[in-house]
Amino acid sequence: MKKWQVAVVMVLAALGSWFSLGATAHAQTYTIATDTTFAPFEFQAKGGKYKGIDIDILNAIAKKENINYKLKAISFGAAVQQLSANQVDGVIAGMNVTPERQKTFDFSKAYYTSGVVMAVAKDSKVKTFKDLKGKTVALKTGTAGATYAKSIESKYGFKIKYFNDSNNMYNDVKVGNSAACFEDYPVMSYGIKNGIALKIVSKQYEAGDYGFAVKKGKNAALLKKFNAGLAAIKADGTYKKIIDKYLHSSEASLTGETASSRTFIGLFTQNLGTIGNGLWMTLELTVISIILATVMGVILGVLGVMPGKIGPAISSTIIYIFRGMPLMVLAFFIYIGFPDLIGHGFKIPAFIAGMITLMLNEGAYTGAFVKGGFKAVDDGQMEAARSLGLPYWTAMRKVIMPQGIRIMIPSFINQFIITLKDTSILSVIGIVELTQTGTLIIARNFEGFKIWLMIAIIYLILITLLTWLSNWVQRRMN
Amino acid sequence: MAKVVVKDLHKSYGDNEVLKGLNLEVEDNEVVCMIGPSGSGKSTFLRCLNDLELPTQGQVIISGYDLSDKGTNINLVRENIGMVFQHFNLFPHLSVLQNITLAPIQLKKASKAEAEKTARHLLDVVGLADKVDAMPKSLSGGQKQRVAIARALAMNPKIMLFDEPTSALDPEMVGDVLDVMKRLAADGMTMIVVTHEMGFAKEVADRVVFMADGLIQESGKPDDVFDHPKSPRLQDFLNKVINV
Ligand SMILES: Nc1ncnc2c1ncn2[C@@H]1O[C@H](COP(=O)(O)OP(=O)(O)O)[C@@H](O)[C@H]1O
Ligand SMILES: [Mg+2]
Repeated sequence: MKKWQVAVVMVLAALGSWFSLGATAHAQTYTIATDTTFAPFEFQAKGGKYKGIDIDILNAIAKKENINYKLKAISFGAAVQQLSANQVDGVIAGMNVTPERQKTFDFSKAYYTSGVVMAVAKDSKVKTFKDLKGKTVALKTGTAGATYAKSIESKYGFKIKYFNDSNNMYNDVKVGNSAACFEDYPVMSYGIKNGIALKIVSKQYEAGDYGFAVKKGKNAALLKKFNAGLAAIKADGTYKKIIDKYLHSSEASLTGETASSRTFIGLFTQNLGTIGNGLWMTLELTVISIILATVMGVILGVLGVMPGKIGPAISSTIIYIFRGMPLMVLAFFIYIGFPDLIGHGFKIPAFIAGMITLMLNEGAYTGAFVKGGFKAVDDGQMEAARSLGLPYWTAMRKVIMPQGIRIMIPSFINQFIITLKDTSILSVIGIVELTQTGTLIIARNFEGFKIWLMIAIIYLILITLLTWLSNWVQRRMN
Repeated sequence: MAKVVVKDLHKSYGDNEVLKGLNLEVEDNEVVCMIGPSGSGKSTFLRCLNDLELPTQGQVIISGYDLSDKGTNINLVRENIGMVFQHFNLFPHLSVLQNITLAPIQLKKASKAEAEKTARHLLDVVGLADKVDAMPKSLSGGQKQRVAIARALAMNPKIMLFDEPTSALDPEMVGDVLDVMKRLAADGMTMIVVTHEMGFAKEVADRVVFMADGLIQESGKPDDVFDHPKSPRLQDFLNKVINV
């Protein structure tokens, strides 16, 4: 009793300090979001550091103009949403300047111009848009390629399938699920040069400008500095050096990887640090979420069996809402929707948002089985306890709960394992946990099979350890 | 004033009126046995006496405290009424000793040491001194019921309610439990016992109450009720019970 109270207070205190940190840390430092996978504009190099045309240009400009910034790599879609929700100050992610986007964002002067091309599998017979009739085309959400393909969809009669991530899109074409993909030329040609088994079969369409974006009417000073810096690095040759470096050199020289590092063991040791960080984040999220969800679940369960109508009604409603909502929707709602609702530049750090998401979702599931467990305790137990003169809460604590919790142990173990697995969904809000780590590593080395196998094995090991631990606790309790 | 006063007690579950206006007074040290067919409302009646059920209408006054009065602290009243259930309802996660000491310790009636001393004494009284540290699931039905009686007695109640305490027991266990109850009665405990043990009622009861259809149909001294039943309902009931 005393111990868990202390634990709750500590968790709340930790939460509180996180919030206040989040609120103060960005005083004069801009948060700039970028994509996770858009080589050669941005990609993770060995050791987890970001590299690429966008990154280097931003860095060079920041140096010239004394801009303090923190880079935040999330999916392109999330970056755009967060910019419009004021969660970040700017986005540099190979973003095309379009009239549509200009309604919500202010763009810098173009820092690169590129067109859209169609790419197909190496052995594909598709040569022109006409060959796509009745077939499926893979697109990455929010890209110029996607916009262009959508505009010719009905004309050429193909179907569209969306991805959040370039590599998954390439892979879908490679394995033949989709007949073709549409991608910006420099991205596609860079990828092919670095081992993606696709070929470009069209000329460049819809040449468009890439610009750095801020939210419309906000951060005018930042935009002005960016433009000034861009002009300066173009003038002194830095810009050309950056472009040449990325468009005319091979991946290995940029990421620092060698052929020997392409074996399973080699990949593992090369990426040990990155994977370790992701693993740590997964563990942290899992443990904190399990604690919070358990506290919330027990509260919901107790409310659910309380005499009267109000407690059970509150409990059922909360369980209904958070159990019914897909985890991903809940994550987006809390991370992007909720701050938007509050306004005033309110931000929730991704980690906190992720934790709250898991707490609500897993807590609702936990609440449901905790309620069931308490109900499974024979009514005679409560009556016997009350007939002795014990007040309701004492009877609950000393008689019903200890019996109910014993009934619930298998459900708890199950829920812990689900929580561990569900942390992977939080990669959508840019939390670099184990799954997202896998995505990032593959984004630069294209070793999908080996890396996913590695990640899968790590999850299985974690789950095995968690199961052992739970069984040990269960044996101790009986 | 009588120890237990029940006035015009009604209880309905939805449209089903189970108790239809009962009146009963039980004096200090009196032992009342209630008999009657299954479903006639005996359990419901007992449960109204310690507020496990809320009456729909009427009054229950225990040692001068009116249960329907908002100012009455029901937990305090319950401390003075022990209840023994047909299915024992021992706490399966607690040892015999912990079952008995839980309420006294939680309600600060006694220190842990005092409570345990009392518990050991009570276990001695019910003949289970050697089961102090046993878990309930290792006990026989008769042993469980005697622990349940000891548990109720640990709160030092002034009134004891028994709801068919021997109905769930194998026949050879019944005697031990009834012996404990007889001793309690002899020591002057005020008791209301719902039972089908006619022998026990004859021997121990000061008064026997016959209930049927949610009403007290007949009551009186055991000899009168058993040997000279007035109503045909009671005659019919006694015939069935004795012939089984
Ligand atoms: N919680 C309840 N809800 C609805 N009906 C009940 C409830 N408890 C008892 N009853 C009904 O009340 C009637 C009397 O039950 P009970 O008091 O247990 O009788 P007895 O103990 O004399 O066998 C029965 O018809 C039973 O179905
Ligand atoms: Mg009954």
